[in-house]
Amino acid sequence: MSAPSVVGVFIFTICLLVPVLTYALVKYFWNKPLQNGPGYFLGVEVPAGFYEGPGRGWMAGYHATVASLYTVWAVALGAIVITRRWEMTPMWAGGFALLFVPTMLGFQAWTRHKLGVTPPVRPVALALESRRLGDYISWPLEALMVAVVGFSWWLLLRHAGAHFDWLTPLQLTWVALGLIPGKIVVVRSSSPLPTERTEEHYRYQDAERRNWLRAWGAFGWFFVVILLGLALGMALMRARSASRMVPGLEWLILGIAFAVWGYQVLVYYRGSRQLASMARDLRPAGSWRTPFRRASWMGMSRPYLIWGTIWCGGIFAFILYPLCKARF
Amino acid sequence: MFLTLHENDKRPIYQQITDGIKALIAGGGLREGMTLPSVRQVAGDLGVNLNTVAVAYRQLQDEGFVTVRHGAGAVISSRSARPVEQAELYKPLRTALTQLVLSGLTDREIVGAVREELALLQMKGGTR
Repeated sequence: MSAPSVVGVFIFTICLLVPVLTYALVKYFWNKPLQNGPGYFLGVEVPAGFYEGPGRGWMAGYHATVASLYTVWAVALGAIVITRRWEMTPMWAGGFALLFVPTMLGFQAWTRHKLGVTPPVRPVALALESRRLGDYISWPLEALMVAVVGFSWWLLLRHAGAHFDWLTPLQLTWVALGLIPGKIVVVRSSSPLPTERTEEHYRYQDAERRNWLRAWGAFGWFFVVILLGLALGMALMRARSASRMVPGLEWLILGIAFAVWGYQVLVYYRGSRQLASMARDLRPAGSWRTPFRRASWMGMSRPYLIWGTIWCGGIFAFILYPLCKARF
Repeated sequence: MFLTLHENDKRPIYQQITDGIKALIAGGGLREGMTLPSVRQVAGDLGVNLNTVAVAYRQLQDEGFVTVRHGAGAVISSRSARPVEQAELYKPLRTALTQLVLSGLTDREIVGAVREELALLQMKGGTR
């Protein structure tokens, strides 16, 4: 059995990403402004009849933005396929994420700035149920993840040569282990509960929390599997004094990594669908403020924003570092 | 189990929390041995200072409604574990009755109002 070719892996990745992102566009992104019902636009409370008046323009603007982003994505993919420059696949996938996420966040910020400057003040309900970390996070599983990362590093430190590129395992470790504090923040954070249909809002928040934790868990394991594969490959290469990894191991690691990735996508979309149906006519977090707390943007708490900035900032730093190093 | 806090309530926040928890205990919604969320969780969920919630919990503890156990948090105490003198207990009732009488309500109306409020309290606690 020959080792998987890099081109093959890139083509396989494209074949996976295209249906997933197309499905996301059709099922999730296209009508996202209406996910909370006709009383809201992207989670911002709007007056009755909004969609018959100014809402049309807002909706058209939103659709134009999403369509432009997906057009860039499709054109870039077409260029890769026509020129057969498959090595550009990571740039295509990562570039789309880097373009899409800030653009969508920017659009939401603009919406909030224009339509939801003064959110209404409403009474708030307080849930008297304890949220213990252990009820949401499986500590044995987290310990196993840390142990696997530690074992991988032990293998790398013992067997990787002087010319080994340490940036890759550092990146993988940062992404995987950096999610653990994020999970703690997710459990501890909550959005204010309105006094009407409180139980439903509470159940929605809980489902949302659990959905994020499940998806992040699988996301973290995806990178841990790759790190372990890298370390095992290094160790076996050293043991066999070979210049290439064991072919079977490469296939095995790739198979497991893609299976974990597929599981993560499945968990995320199943959860998103369930959340969308639960949230259809619920008051979205961030569309109102309590007597004690201002409306947070997209319901994000301050610790969540701090953690997100540090974690994403680290990932960006790992991406930019080799580029800056090569340039200067 | 939920507490409601209103924007136009004149009472301080810690008092609203204390009174709300007491009402839930009275209505049977919060029973002996049940654990209240941590001060940090309540403060975070409401968006108020940690001290505000700590004051509310301390007041509940001082009045014997909760017991703070290390590692377990604030646990609802037994209702009978609160030694309150009858005279002390009736004082706010007497004040309220005086106000109701002064406002011109008849005995029958006052008894009806008390019954209504009691039923509401029990409904909030989920015992009905």
